[in-house]
Amino acid sequence: MAYSDKVLDHYTNPRNVGSLDKASQEVGTGLVGAPECGDVMKLQIKVNPTTNIIEDAKFKTFGCGSAIASSSLATEWVKGKTVDEALGIRNTDIVKELSLPPVKIHCSVLAEDAIRAAIGDWKKKNGQTQTQGQPQSVAVEQRA
Amino acid sequence: MAQTEQKKRGPSDSGILVVTQTKPPTANCWSCGAMRAAHFCQQCGKVQPPAPVDYFSFFGLPYKLNLEPDKLEREFYALSRHLHPDINAVSSDREQQWSLEQSSQLNDAYRTLKDPITRTEYLLRLQGVQLEEQSKAATEEARRTGKVKKQVVPPDLLEQVFELNMQLEEARMNKKMGEPDRNLERELQDTKKQLQAKYDGMMAELHAAWNEWDTLVERTGQGDTVLEDDRLAVRDKMVDVLNRRSYLRNLLRDIDEVLESQ
Repeated sequence: MAYSDKVLDHYTNPRNVGSLDKASQEVGTGLVGAPECGDVMKLQIKVNPTTNIIEDAKFKTFGCGSAIASSSLATEWVKGKTVDEALGIRNTDIVKELSLPPVKIHCSVLAEDAIRAAIGDWKKKNGQTQTQGQPQSVAVEQRA
Repeated sequence: MAQTEQKKRGPSDSGILVVTQTKPPTANCWSCGAMRAAHFCQQCGKVQPPAPVDYFSFFGLPYKLNLEPDKLEREFYALSRHLHPDINAVSSDREQQWSLEQSSQLNDAYRTLKDPITRTEYLLRLQGVQLEEQSKAATEEARRTGKVKKQVVPPDLLEQVFELNMQLEEARMNKKMGEPDRNLERELQDTKKQLQAKYDGMMAELHAAWNEWDTLVERTGQGDTVLEDDRLAVRDKMVDVLNRRSYLRNLLRDIDEVLESQ
């Protein structure tokens, strides 16, 4: 199966690989896995405590090219968004942006899970309850 | 086909699978009119039109997970001898087409049932479980409720998988630089032994669940009422093992790859 150019670009030149201080109050960590293929993905966010804006994001993924590209893209997208805005990112946005084939859709699901898990961890650390009701819907550029 | 039909059904009403089995229709041979076997006529040997059955039914097997591989193999070869397109090469176009369809169904059925894991996955699919859909469904649930998604495997397993992958990456890097880290490699050897033991334990769990499942199938066959909850409990046990298994399988494979590339 051929990867799209965008997947190849993220795969050969992944953005934001690395880690943030897990113990920091401002950092949320999400570790998720896809049992279909045995992939694991860690995504971390650093949130500004006064603005709730995600100022930095890092990831490390062990998996196929599509999983790496999906998480790389996810870190790019969450940066500069508030946590509630970031919760509006859908796996389908990632599928569209990377032109993922049906067999790789679970990679995009994994990336959405990772964002959600990282935000959940940050909220827990900062004594916030989980989002009440629907997360604020937000236009990811690609979705508009 | 029957299994696509089953797939569309919800998990709750697929319980009938334990009770009733889709049998290949027993009709008379289209050619000589004698009572035929499922796939070919025992009288005149002609290939019959393929029947839409699942893989277990194709081999006339009950929906049990313990099966004798040797017997399955013998059956596979025996059927091949009648159904193979080469044998039906001089038959009519219609018969050649049937032969092609029957053979490919035979091959798919054999390949799926032969391997214990794909066999289990296939049975679970017939039971309405869609392993690949589980994760997506859980994500949708998380989206809807705003809660963090419940991972289908325990978090500590994910931690372990992640940490070990970090180690493997380091070991690969060191090797690439021509400075293999012997201590790290020894550590990986030890880890491999632990993981292998864990994997074996998991397979034992799976076999125990197989036995439970087969007992339920037998009881149903004897006219006993099997509680839906019992069936779902065994089914979910198998799903759980299969989910954890794929991580361990990958780790064992990757450790081997790193340790062997000396």
